[in-house]
Amino acid sequence: MSLLSCNKNLTPLQRRSLRWIGGAMLLTVLTNFSGANVANPLVDIFPNLARLNVPQGHSSTLIVALISAFSVLPVLLAVWIVARYLKAEPDEFIRALAVRALLWGIAVTMAGDAIAGVVTVFYARPFPIGLLNADLFWVSTAIAFRLVLRSYR
Amino acid sequence: MNCLRELRAEKNWSQADLAEKLGVSRQSVNAIETGRFDASLPLAFKLSRLFRLPIESIFFE
Repeated sequence: MSLLSCNKNLTPLQRRSLRWIGGAMLLTVLTNFSGANVANPLVDIFPNLARLNVPQGHSSTLIVALISAFSVLPVLLAVWIVARYLKAEPDEFIRALAVRALLWGIAVTMAGDAIAGVVTVFYARPFPIGLLNADLFWVSTAIAFRLVLRSYR
Repeated sequence: MNCLRELRAEKNWSQADLAEKLGVSRQSVNAIETGRFDASLPLAFKLSRLFRLPIESIFFE
């Protein structure tokens, strides 16, 4: 994202949208801790994080439902940011490129999920990749946008 | 196909100059000039007004 935010050619609308994207990414990180289990690699690095894990089998259905709903927030925010940007972007060419980049972002996110699914099953070690979907989506979309824009220099 | 590059050269404008006058990005002008992106009707009208030429003189088959 820093690649994009350092660009002096960005319009105020693009800068504003980038700030929202940054917020969505931060929210994604925060909601990672709302999962039933903190991601295994994180616990490997910081063992004390294991204390944040929600005890399994002892939570009420309502709490589980609320925790699940919390992780939807970054995804809904992502949809809102994209819709708001595409509606307000006056440059039709940039709009077309943004749509292409967004499609790449969705593709990379789906591919990431598929790969993570195979790896977690193979190693029988759960990793809540779904919680990182919003981050994966934004990072891959930003990289794709830079690449497609570069082809029109 | 279009003669945007030639018209721009006549006025001695850079792609960035034309982009600023049209209110679009420089990459948009580049993409239209090279035929990799088709300008919309509103943008074609803007170009027509800017160069004081009918649309069909700027864009052709």
